[in-house]
Formats: sequence, structure tokens, C-alpha cells
Amino acid sequence: MSELLSIGISHHTASLDIREKMWLNVDETKEAVSHLLTKRFQECVVISTCNRTELYGTASKLPDPSDVKKFLIDFKKATGSVLDEHFTNAIGTNAVHHLFRVAAGIESQVIGDIQILNQVKESFQISRELDALGPLLNHLMQSALHVGKRVRTETQICEGAVSISYAAVELANKIFADLSKKAVLLIGAGETGELTLKHLIGRGIGNVKVANRTREKADELVARMSGSVVDYKDLQEALRSVDIVISSVTSPSYIVQPHHVQSVMKRRSHNPLFLIDIGVPRNVDPRCKKIDNVFLYDIDSLHTIVERNVDHRRDELPKVDKIIEEELNAFVKWRNSLSVGPTIHDLRDAFESIRAEEVEKNINRFSPDDRQLVDIVTKRIINKILHQPTTALKDGAEDQARDKETLLRIHALRELFGIAGHKLNGNEKR
Amino acid sequence: MFLQTIVDVLVVAMPLFYGVVVFLYALSFFTESAPASRFKPALLRITVFLHLLYILTRTVAFDHPPITTVYEIMTILAACIAVGYLYIEMRTHARNTGFFILLLAFIFQLASSLFIKDLIEIDPVLRSRLLGFHVSATLLGYTGISLSAAYGFLYLMLYHEIKSSRFGVIYKRLPNLEMLEKMSTNSEMFGFLTLSVGIAIGFFWLPLAFDNVSYWDPKLIGTLFIWVLYLIGIVAKRRFGWQGRKMMIVSLVGFGFVFLSMTLINFWLSGFHKFH
Repeated sequence: MSELLSIGISHHTASLDIREKMWLNVDETKEAVSHLLTKRFQECVVISTCNRTELYGTASKLPDPSDVKKFLIDFKKATGSVLDEHFTNAIGTNAVHHLFRVAAGIESQVIGDIQILNQVKESFQISRELDALGPLLNHLMQSALHVGKRVRTETQICEGAVSISYAAVELANKIFADLSKKAVLLIGAGETGELTLKHLIGRGIGNVKVANRTREKADELVARMSGSVVDYKDLQEALRSVDIVISSVTSPSYIVQPHHVQSVMKRRSHNPLFLIDIGVPRNVDPRCKKIDNVFLYDIDSLHTIVERNVDHRRDELPKVDKIIEEELNAFVKWRNSLSVGPTIHDLRDAFESIRAEEVEKNINRFSPDDRQLVDIVTKRIINKILHQPTTALKDGAEDQARDKETLLRIHALRELFGIAGHKLNGNEKR
Repeated sequence: MFLQTIVDVLVVAMPLFYGVVVFLYALSFFTESAPASRFKPALLRITVFLHLLYILTRTVAFDHPPITTVYEIMTILAACIAVGYLYIEMRTHARNTGFFILLLAFIFQLASSLFIKDLIEIDPVLRSRLLGFHVSATLLGYTGISLSAAYGFLYLMLYHEIKSSRFGVIYKRLPNLEMLEKMSTNSEMFGFLTLSVGIAIGFFWLPLAFDNVSYWDPKLIGTLFIWVLYLIGIVAKRRFGWQGRKMMIVSLVGFGFVFLSMTLINFWLSGFHKFH
């Protein structure tokens, strides 16, 4: 019977420079899976993201984890910098539990990260294309994706922005109905400011303007993204025609004063103005917040939003754990049903119940003398029908080299005859 | 007899239906209950259908539309609010404001069901077709004003949460500020225009219906006051660019006067608008 092994390196055990060395692109992932299949595993999936590189493999006789770690290090030519201790490994149910936690997003650096589920899905597809999946890993990966989907729909673990730039975009969405009809002005070229602008462009912001003390930097930014450049000295005028301002310049004094905003608000017919001040020291006088229809957020207030959202996500952890536990139980039940013994037993039960039902339905058509004979004959027919599949399954189970084939047979048998255990975990629906 | 029985059943059933609808909308808003979110639109449609049936049955059973007493008018107003909200929900797909709007419909319907009387004999003056148009237009005006005030109230709550960085359930569930403002402004414009038509018809009908007409009727003055208040708000919006918070406050103050007009003036100040 196949066993499951997981080996991985993640942000829990290794710093970014180590994780970078172990990161695999799509081609490398395909190559690694192919290599691992030839010698070490019967089935294999490799998940590689900026925060983790993990492999899941099955074999009737699992390879030594140190050997697999060595293969991965050699494969990435990272000998010396990546060590054995940077990896963790798990076997059987522990490995399943770990994968479910990864797919649920609670092993991510940012709890509730929604990207990880897509990455798990991509890894699943790569292995499927390479024919690296048997019934066990196929079912495991589908179960993991199901866990991820359930967690996203049944809990609020993914809700609320957990980065400064996303928090700003979330607020913009709560103020404005249609961002495609709005204009944004980026003052300065700081990293967070640029990231916020990128997110706004991603949400379809209608018009982008950039102002910088060094005109060349603004030109360069506009060339990379889109929009137009505004002269730094024309900032006040630009405020009139935009709805969102992201400011991140280094300035000893406020570059946006309440009297500027007040005069601008009159000229812009008091349309809402969202000021995102991520400069340190602050670029916008906090008194601007008191002006009607002006929404001012500085780095501290955005941090507060992020922290609150992270706390809220942590509060959801018990619900996520419960889902993982339910799915883990279902998986273990399904896994156990794939053993030869229970399968033969279930198969016999299924046939016997059909035989007994039909005999009972028709027994009155026979004379009392023949009734016992009918029972004996039908039982004998069932035994003869089941003899060949039973023997074939038992023979397969005794030969470890045919483990994958046996698993496929059991899986097919259970699916074809709708035997108990196959439907227990609702696999067909996935 | 059969119609009377239907009226008797529905007069009790309507506040119960509205109560359950409001409860489902509240449950969905505050707890995000999936079953409540699933069933609330269907139950609202059933409630609106029953309410329209109730009004129709009442009109046939008592041989006059229910516009002759304040409690009859309240049930029409409740129905108009529910229909108006249903229309907005279907157009915008914003289903999270229902609790606050339908609460108004529930309150009006509850008051109506508790105190409404089955009148068969009514003042002949109330059988005028012009009066029917006058009351219908005025009621549509009041409906627009009520919806505008409810959305204005939601706008102010969300505005306050965003301004003060206190993000609670209101922030999480309500649509964005611009949409709430648009819903409030559109309802207000609709309310103002239909109220204007209602008032104009009333002025035309008044000398035709009564020999000695006094234009100092408290209800008439109250309604004109409300109309002027909204006119000032609309002019201020156009001329001085009043937007957002200021306009929402105007909308709420206007609704406050509508409420006073429907309660204080109707119950304590008599005039020609009092027919019983």
C-alpha cells in the first residue's frame, strides 16, 4: 500500500535568500517531478512559490527524506547554502494535514493569502500533464483544493486588506462607486505609493497623473505604467481635477495645507477627495481631515486598518481548523476504503445485498422445497462471479511493485459499483 | 363577506409579513446568515404582492381607495416604500440596505393595522377623481422623501465611520458612499417632482371641492414648508455645489418635517384635510 511523504522549505524555516535559491519555475518544476518519478516516487506534485517549495510524493516504500532533500538541493545547485535543517518533512496523515493548511492559506506569511490556492491548482495541473498522479495524489490534491474553496466561502479568513496599499484601495472602493470614472494623482515615487497606484490601475482607475520634484522620475514612472506627468509646481491646480491623491514625498513641511484643499473643494464642486498620505514625515496637514467630503488617511491610520484586519483573520482560525479536520477525516476514511481487505468485504456486501433482495422478492414463486436450493444456488453464483476479481486484488496487494496498479483497480471498482466509502467523501462532486 | 374576510386576515397578516421580512434583512445584514440572505428577496416579493392585494381588496370591499384617513394613507405609504425599495434593489442589486428602508414600511404598516377602521360611508368630496390624483402624487412624493432620508441616514453613518476610521458592520456591509448618495438624491428628486405635482393638483382641486376655502390649513402649510425646504436644498446643490453630508442632512430634516406633518398636524391640528 502506498505511503505519502511531504518535504518542504518555507518561510517558517528559511529566510528569503534561502527560499529564493530553492524556488522552481514551471520548467524546473516539470523537470524535478519527472526526475523524482523515475527513481523515488510513484506519484509526485511540487508546489513552488516565493514563500515555499514543497513536494508531495507517494511510494510503496518511501525514500529516505534526506535523499530527497539532497536531490532538491543538488537540482537547484544550492549545495552549501541550503542545508538539511531548512527542510521539514511529514508522513501520511501529517502530510495531508499540512497540505490542507497550505491550501487553506493559514500556513502563508499573510494569513488568508488567496494566491496560494491558485498556486496549488497550477502544481496539480503540471503533475496531471506529466501523468504523475495516481488515485492517491489525485484525490489528495482535489481534497486540498476543496478545503481552500470551503475556507474562502465559509469563513472570513481572506477578508479585509492586509497591506497598506490594499487598505488604501479598499477605502477608495468604499468612497467611490466606479473607479474607472475617477482620476488619481501620485505625488513622489516611493515604493508604497507606486504599489498603491499599481493596485488602483488593477482596479481600473480611469486616469493617472504623476508629479515628482525630479521630472525625469515622473516620466519614467508614466512610461512604465500609464497616464500623464504633472509639473510639481502645479500641484494645487492638479488637486482640482483628481479624486484620489497618493502622496509619498520627503518634505520637512506639509505640501498640502487646509486652505489649499478648501479652495480646491469649492472649485471642484465639493466632490469627494480621498487623500492617501504615506509620506514620513506626513505630507498633508491633518487638519484637512475636518473639511467636508475630504477623506484623509495617513500611514498610521492605514496601519491600524491592516492590523485590525489581521486580527479579524486570526479570529477566524478556529473555523478554518474545523473545516480542515472535517476534510481530513473524510480523506482518511476514503484512504482506508482503498485497502484491499475492506474493498473485497464491501464488494461482497454489495453483491450479497442485491442477491438477498432479489431472492426475497421472488421466493414465493418457488415451491417450499426449492426455496433453500434457490438460496444456495444464488450464493454460489455470486461467489463464482467474485472469485476472479478477489484473487486478482489479493495477488496485486502482495506485489509491492504493482501498488499503483492495485490502487487504480480498487478505485475503479469502487467507482463502478458505487461501493460504500467511495461516495463517503463526496469525491464525485469535486 | 368574502372580501371582508380577506381584508380582516390581511390587516393582521401584513405587519407580521413585514416583521419577518425586516427580521430576515436584519439577520442577513448583521450576521451574514446565508439562509436569511437567500430567502429575503423572495419573501419581500410575496409581501409586496400581498400588500397590493390587500389595498385592492380594501378598495373593492369598502367602495373607496384607502386614502380617506391617516391610517389608510399609512398603509399606502408603507406599500409605496416597499415597492420603491424593491425597484431599487432589483436595479442596483444592492441588498444590504433593506433592513433600514423596510423598517419604515413595517412601522407605517403596524400603525395602520392597529388603528385602521373599516369605513363604508365617506364624505362625498373624497370620491373626486382629481383628489385621487392629488393623493397619489403626494404619496409618491412622501415615498421618495422617505427613501431619500433612509439612504441619507445610511450615507451619514458610513461617512462617519470612514472619517473616524472606525470600521464596523456598517462599513463592511453597506454599498459605497457615492452609490448611497446617488440613491438618496434620485429618490429626493423623484419625491420633490411628484410632491410638486400633488401640491399643484391640490391647489387646482381645492376651490372646486369647497365653497369657503382657507389656504391657512395646517396640513397645506406644513406640506408647502416641506416643499420649500427641498427646493432650497436642490437650489443649494445646483448653485453652491452642496453635496454629500450637507445634502443628506437636508434630506433627513425634510423627512423629520414629513413625519411631523403626518403625526402632529394630522392628529392635533384640524383643518379641511380632516374628513372624519
